[in-house]
Amino acid sequence: MNYSEALFYLVFAGQIALLSVYFPARISARMRCMLEKFPPSEYPKMYPLPEYRYHMGEVVYRWVNHCITALGLVILFCIAFVVDHSTFADDGFISEAWPAAYAMVQFVPILALEISGMSQYRKMREAATLKRAELTPRKLTELVPAWLLVVAVVAFGFAVFLDFFANNYVMEWDKTLAFAFGNLFMTAVAAWSVFGRKQDPHQAAADRARASSAVLHSMAYVSIAMSLFYMSTALDQMFNLDSFDAVLMSLYFLAIGWLSVGTMLRSVRIEDLNLEVYKPHSDVS
Amino acid sequence: MYHGTTWYNWYKVDALEVIIDINDPEPPFAQLMTQIKQAVQTGAVKPGDPLPSIRQLANDLDLNNKTVAKAYRLLERDSVIESRGYRGTFVHADAAKNSEVDLGEWVTEELAKLVSRFRNAGMTDPEIRNAFANVMNDRTR
Repeated sequence: MNYSEALFYLVFAGQIALLSVYFPARISARMRCMLEKFPPSEYPKMYPLPEYRYHMGEVVYRWVNHCITALGLVILFCIAFVVDHSTFADDGFISEAWPAAYAMVQFVPILALEISGMSQYRKMREAATLKRAELTPRKLTELVPAWLLVVAVVAFGFAVFLDFFANNYVMEWDKTLAFAFGNLFMTAVAAWSVFGRKQDPHQAAADRARASSAVLHSMAYVSIAMSLFYMSTALDQMFNLDSFDAVLMSLYFLAIGWLSVGTMLRSVRIEDLNLEVYKPHSDVS
Repeated sequence: MYHGTTWYNWYKVDALEVIIDINDPEPPFAQLMTQIKQAVQTGAVKPGDPLPSIRQLANDLDLNNKTVAKAYRLLERDSVIESRGYRGTFVHADAAKNSEVDLGEWVTEELAKLVSRFRNAGMTDPEIRNAFANVMNDRTR
């Protein structure tokens, strides 16, 4: 085992621990805490589905993540002892496809939670007879500091230039367009969270602002992380660091998880939320 | 202005809110107009204060854009709010005074006086209705 392989095993173990153990444990604990401290009997407007569905959802989410953790450990074992890396077109180095493909699997439960949340919000909107909105315009710069957006744009511009320079002034359009599309997607998600339809009809204005702000911050951080990864691929080409490809890919997904899921968990805390609006006799039904 | 305190606990809002009851017999655009006028009269919003865009309000209230646009158009007609093109919509300088005037009520009072005069002159109600319909349909007048 050489130095780059040892580093990969360490980082990949971190990827498994953070995205499939630590964050899911925190999300599960949060679900249980909500159900215990703010039960459907007292906060019926927060739960458009029958109570057992939430308990079942939490158990399924927890066990799916246990399975993904086990899968990660199996992959780690196979990479270390079973797979012959020389059969892949990576000069005998560990392929970056391993951490990338595994990260896709790791993000599936989070994506499922988001989709389930959207369907529940639709039910809440259909049931609500009173709708409320703040009478002040929302501005992007009230929710996220302008410098952060500028840094994200500049980082992307610099990454494109560095890649252009590393390729002897030849543009690799497929890579550039892939990163540009990623940034465009994040811009759309951020814009939708600020200016799009109010998903939860009962949500207080301050909570909506806090959630939008968290999304904006997380998208800006992820965009910067993407640009740093883009720069690292350029440096990889300049200095022939092929043996670190898998490490960089794993680090990239570690950072994406920390900056997206981590930022949301740190920012939108239960104790800050105004949950009175979900009680039966609050002014919004 | 960015309301930053720490890097993640940013936003404190003491926002004025409008509430629309979709079961209320009063149409949503009228509820919206009433609440904006009330906000002006109570001083919750002041002349020159910015108001949310039509799209933002429609998205938040889960209403059609045209419903909010209608409320804004009528409030602008009454000089309670004013549109400043791409800069957005703001509370009119004379909003407090103008929001006390209810054009709908004024029209009803004026029509009631007219109808009373026609009845005194001996016209029957169907005749008055026909005459009123003819006047309303004749857009050249």
